[in-house]
Amino acid sequence: MLETADRPVSHDDSSAASSGHSPVALNAINRWVPHNLVMRDSWFPVAHDYSVTGKPVRRAIYSHPIFLWRDNGVVVASEFHPNERIARDKSEFTNTQGRYPVMEHYGVVWIWFGNPLAADPRHLPSLPFLPPKGGLPRHMTATVRFESAAPISLENLIDLTHADFLHADVVGDERSDSETVETFYDSETVTMVRTCVNKSVAPVMKFFSGIKQPTQNVRQVIRIYLRSHCAIAYGRFSPGDDVPLFHPCTPETRDRTRMEMVMNTSNAGLMFRHVMPKAGYKVSRQDSYMTSPQSPRYMRHTDRKDLHSKFDQAGQRYRMAMMELADRQANGDFAYRDNVSADCSDIIGLRKELFRF
Amino acid sequence: MSLDSDLWWAVARSEEVTSQKPLSLDIGDQPVVLWRDNQGIARALEDRCPHRRAPLSLGCIRDNGQIQCGYHGWSYDGETGRLKEIPNMKDQQKFPPIYKANAFAVSEQPGFVRVCLNPKAQAPLNADPKYTYVGTVNVSCSHQEYLNALYDDPGLILSIRGVRFSPYLMSELHEENGMLVMERNCQWHPLHWPSHFVAEFPLTLLTRTHPLTGETQLTLRDDQFHDLLYAVLSPVPSARGVTAVRWRAELGVRHPGVRGAVLRGINPLSVHASVDGSKLRATKPTVSLHGEDLRKVMLETTPATHDQTVAA
Ligand code: FES
Ligand SMILES: [Fe+2]
Repeated sequence: MLETADRPVSHDDSSAASSGHSPVALNAINRWVPHNLVMRDSWFPVAHDYSVTGKPVRRAIYSHPIFLWRDNGVVVASEFHPNERIARDKSEFTNTQGRYPVMEHYGVVWIWFGNPLAADPRHLPSLPFLPPKGGLPRHMTATVRFESAAPISLENLIDLTHADFLHADVVGDERSDSETVETFYDSETVTMVRTCVNKSVAPVMKFFSGIKQPTQNVRQVIRIYLRSHCAIAYGRFSPGDDVPLFHPCTPETRDRTRMEMVMNTSNAGLMFRHVMPKAGYKVSRQDSYMTSPQSPRYMRHTDRKDLHSKFDQAGQRYRMAMMELADRQANGDFAYRDNVSADCSDIIGLRKELFRF
Repeated sequence: MSLDSDLWWAVARSEEVTSQKPLSLDIGDQPVVLWRDNQGIARALEDRCPHRRAPLSLGCIRDNGQIQCGYHGWSYDGETGRLKEIPNMKDQQKFPPIYKANAFAVSEQPGFVRVCLNPKAQAPLNADPKYTYVGTVNVSCSHQEYLNALYDDPGLILSIRGVRFSPYLMSELHEENGMLVMERNCQWHPLHWPSHFVAEFPLTLLTRTHPLTGETQLTLRDDQFHDLLYAVLSPVPSARGVTAVRWRAELGVRHPGVRGAVLRGINPLSVHASVDGSKLRATKPTVSLHGEDLRKVMLETTPATHDQTVAA
């Protein structure tokens, strides 16, 4: 089924009533200007824990400067460099000393961006496949940068049909016997589950996990924490491995995105364990080949509406949920209506026996 | 830059348009993707996939001649721009007519592929002769400034082997059948006598320029009225104030002696890839000032015609 309601404006002669969407939802999809969505009162992942040492490193959230260093082993996050001759005002996002609320969890350093008094570990996204205290080997981590708005990168992630096409050489082509896609959401998250029966085996698995069968059953989950711009990408391949990936898209600026990736391949075979995290480099280049030219084309509102297919439902839901949250924030409502730190193992279908910490 | 949508722009040389790789170009601010379908017909669509706005030029051309977006693999028909296929969508491959990319009109004569942003535009009637020498350059200079340079000192943008352009005009810029026409005296290189004291010039360069597209026909003539060199130069306004220039040239009658031989050496015509900024700013606008006035009058009195390309 095509979403014919989302037609280019020049041809928009019949009424939106013919569609299954409410006008609000329709507007949300087509009023999509991701560069204008600025989220706050949220934990943003800014660094792998090992990259913060005694010497300050620089990060940003929406261009607000962040300097990270360790003082007696404890992470400090300041909006001023210790050597800086301070000639600018402190922002509203830090305390009187110019410090952001900061915490270390899952092997990642998180900054609270928003009202510092509202910072609460209860708002940290649940990532049940990562050891809470960190400590995964470094080869399972990487830093990747995208020249696109963070929501564009997340929309790319939750839209799995591009993967069969753009990443066919890594994840396998589009052929499968059957495919179902389900989307779940609340006010803080959008989760998509895609199940494919007898899908062509991903080339990476063929080569590095030694899968001999021509097809495999695949269950892929993408779960996005809207405020933090963080995602979980969890693939269960049988035969094959379990590959849970932490895929944050931190908006360092409104159109440049930083990803402090962690892929927990501890349960996979030796070769796969080492190679798969590296595949992220290749896959991310393929993505940015499309998202980089795409991003500026979303920078300003246009009356021309995107066309949609039935495969875009999760992405549409993501757009709507983001805009709803942004609307609430624009009205000064920064409260959490749903708990993002509640264990999401069941939602993502995590095989818990493989991830005990 | 807003452009008259009924104009035909020679945006590519025929051999640049293939079924192997889509060609990305612009007409002003409008990105265009150009390719050749399985019947060898050149096709042009807006270089923006209506699904998620990825450039179609990053995609590929399928065996059936459709262009396929590289992002999610939607395929479009080149003639109408209509969506023909979404991968994995086994149940439905018929799409409502609004599922389409903007298609532009294309017309090809041997030599140039012309595109008009108005899909219903009438194709221009003309035949280009065969050309041996061709080239494409992207010059960081606006379309109008590029043409002004051509009028005021063609040496700023091109060279003809063994020929030097003099500042003396044989005929100032004037209107002739809807074209801006001028003729400039030229000399053979090296000089024997400074052009200021020359009684007779051995050569002239005749240019005929369309007032809107700037597509220009150049003819180098000797004093016996032999056409020694003939060329077509097509400057197209492109993104970021760049002018994309395609050109084709052919030698005519052989001029006797060493000079004629020099002209017939490799690449009789070359079109420069850049304009020397210090020379350009020091070049006083003379012909171009006059040209501006003339253009204004012409555009007020005669509406733009579809058949504005230069005649062979
Ligand atoms: S952007 Fe072209 S197919 Fe999706
Ligand atoms: Fe991707």
